[in-house]
Parts: sequence; C-alpha cells; structure tokens
Amino acid sequence: MRLIALAFAAIALSQASSAQVAGLRVPDSVVAYRAFSVGTSGSGKASLYLIGPSHSSAQEVELGQEVHFLGDSVARAGRYLVVVCSATCRSESFFVTPAKIASLSLLAHPSRVPVRADNAISAVAFAFDEGENLILTPVAVDFKLTDGGKYLGSRSVATKNGVAWFRTNSGSAAEPVQLAASSGNIVVGRIVRQVAADACNLRVKATRTASGVSLETEPVRDCSGNLVSDGTIVTFTKTDASRQSTVDAPVKQGVARAQMTSLRGVISVASGVVLGNSVRVGE
Amino acid sequence: MKEGLLKITLSNTAPVPRFLLIAVVCLLAMGLEAAGPSPVPARIETDFSKAAPRSVEDLTQRSIARDYSSAWNSLTAALSSNSADALNGYFVGPAKSGLLNAIADQTRLKLQTYYTSSGHKVEAVFYAPEGDVMMLHDTVELDIRLTVDGKAIHEEHVVLRYVVLMTPAADRWVIRQLQAVPQF
Repeated sequence: MRLIALAFAAIALSQASSAQVAGLRVPDSVVAYRAFSVGTSGSGKASLYLIGPSHSSAQEVELGQEVHFLGDSVARAGRYLVVVCSATCRSESFFVTPAKIASLSLLAHPSRVPVRADNAISAVAFAFDEGENLILTPVAVDFKLTDGGKYLGSRSVATKNGVAWFRTNSGSAAEPVQLAASSGNIVVGRIVRQVAADACNLRVKATRTASGVSLETEPVRDCSGNLVSDGTIVTFTKTDASRQSTVDAPVKQGVARAQMTSLRGVISVASGVVLGNSVRVGE
Repeated sequence: MKEGLLKITLSNTAPVPRFLLIAVVCLLAMGLEAAGPSPVPARIETDFSKAAPRSVEDLTQRSIARDYSSAWNSLTAALSSNSADALNGYFVGPAKSGLLNAIADQTRLKLQTYYTSSGHKVEAVFYAPEGDVMMLHDTVELDIRLTVDGKAIHEEHVVLRYVVLMTPAADRWVIRQLQAVPQF
C-alpha cells in the first residue's frame, strides 16, 4: 500500500513540475510587417521558436498565454514555423503573404535602338512590397513610351505571377525617349536612346583634283530623315578595266569623304546593305 | 624501401579486439547522426513548355537545371552548417540577404536546419523577351529537421511551393527571389 501511495505521489509531482504543451494556435496567414499572436495552451514554462525564411527568434514563454510578435518578425513572405518545446516539442506552420505594393522593378531593353524598328523596345516590371517580397496578386501597371511629352506607345497591363511586360515600336526621331512603368503613385523610368537606322538614298559626288578624285557623299540620312551616326562606314568602290579598288570611310557630321588616285572608272558607294548611285570618272 | 618499412610496421601491430572495433564504428555512426543527414544532391525535373513570351533555348534549359540544382545544394549546405560561404555565389539580391539573415539568426540561436529533398518539379512560367530574367514555379518534397544545440525540435515531411526569379550572372544563372507560397 505504501509503495502504491508513493507511486501515485510521484506521478502527481511529475505532472506538476513538467510543462505540458497541450496546444498551439497560429494564424492561417499573416500579412508581412503586421503584428500577430500565437496562442498556447498547457501549463508551465516552455521555449518558443519562430523560424522563417530570413528570421529566427527564441523566447521563454508561459504556456496558456498568448505570445505577441511585432511586424518586423515577419518582414519576409514565405512559410514560418512556430515550435514550442518543454519536455516535448509541438509545432505549427503558417504563411506570410506580401503587403501592399511599395516599389516596381523595371527592366528595359535595349539602351540604344534604331528608329522605326518593330517591337524593338521591351519592358518587364515586377511589383514588390516594402520587404522586397514579390506581390503575386494582380497589380495594374501602366507602361508609357514618351518623346518629349508625345506618347509613342502605352499600355496598361495587370501583373500575372507578379510580372507585367510590354513591347512597342521605336519612334522616328533619333533622340532619347522615356520609358516609364507606374502603378498608382509609384513611377519608375528608363531612358532609351533612339538612333538613326540604316542609310537611305545614299548619293556620292566626285570632284577631280590634282592627284586624282575627291569623293564626298551628300548628308547620309536614314529613311526617317535622321543623319546616320558618326562612324557609320561608307564604302567607295572604283571599278575600271583592270581592277577594282575600295576605300572605307567613316561618316563625320553626316558626310563621308575619300580620295582616290586613279582618274578612270566607275565609282559606286554603299553602306551596309544600301547601295547608292554610281559616278563615271575619266577623260 | 618505404613499402618494406610499411610491411614491418603492419606486422608489428597487435590484433585489435573485435568488440572494440564494433564499439568505435557505433560511436562514429552516432556522431554522424547527431551532426544531421548529409546533403543529397538536388534532383530536378524541369518543364519549359509554358515559358513565355520567349521560348527557352536548349542550352539555357540545361543551364537553368544545373544552376538551380547547385543553388539548392548550396542552400541546404549553408543552413545545415550555418556557413554563408556555402552559398557559393548562387544567390543575389533579396534571396541572398534573406539567407544571410537566416544564417546569422540560426548561429545566434544554435539552430540548424536540415533539408533533404525527394525531388524538385520546376516549371518555367515566364521568360523575358530579352532573356534576362526567368520565373520558375518549384514544387519540392522535403524532409525538414530542425535542431537546437544538436537536439531535434522539429521534423516533418512536407511538399512546399516556391516562386523563383533567376537572372543570368557572369558564368551561371543565380537566384534573385525564392519565395514560398501556399499555392501557385
């Protein structure tokens, strides 16, 4: 009898001294940066761990009471574990979802584009919250391509899987244009430099000199009237009865110039895939 | 000459009792178990058929599979050993800063996280027109084990879903965003 009584006393004492983790209640989901609480049941003291994708913390808690967490504990969206341990451990998980949009990340291509190129300019935008969490619910993003206030292209796109993208033609003027993405008050922009396209209507004139022939093109322009970029190569080719000779000359301030020593032959001019006029020189 | 010396040395060694050998092997096994499971190379199953607006080139598909697997290997190694060096340059931006914070907190709490994956099912859902960013959906089956001071506090087998952003770096694709979601 004495032994049985001692055994019951031992059981009662063990239940009183060790903490019992009976239950753990966590929210179904929490919005990033928002304070929340975890409910515990049972009795005694325990260690409580909060483990997330970029943050972990531990604290001693009194079982049976609510444990409060500041919003900073859940800055990063993802899956979180709450583990409560005393003699044994119990855990529950919940998800933290992104907060409202705080920034747009914009990728724009290319930095330089020829004028009048179809679908040559593209933009991709991602919506993020304050904690750099990708917002996966649809967000309306307005894309605009402007040239000094004049719209060259615009579209409103809702993000899908957190991303929105846009493609448009380049304009006709060889100058910088602004590509912007906006959502509400959040605006982010990039500069895209439109440059002249391939030469159009290439024309050369030849002038006899003491030493041979001086060749000069008329201002080299693209089909939109923009002077081609300095450095664009123009090829002068002279063909006569015995041979063919070529001179490559870079465009400077819209004009390419070259000297040839031979006095006879047909001189033609080309730039890229564009062929200009021919000039016959000779006595 | 060296071989001769080696033979002489071995012949002079006294036979080790069998029970001692078994005890040493058991102790070593317990030590390895306490340290946690060794990282297993991540097995990746990929599907690029739904990538848009740009289709994914063959070489890029192989690169993504290779680099995503390597990134997960480095992530599991980093979180199990609490070593930022183990990240090995596969993470940039928010993904990297998040992991560095996680490692710092784990170190402070003497916490270690062990991931063992049964396999990743990775689907490309977006590939930018200029090929400079790709979005993946990863469904991964994981065994997760958490220890504090070497003692297990949590074990689970779970299927997790991640939204991943990868961008091309100098010699590899890197993870810029790794965000767990309840569903896609």
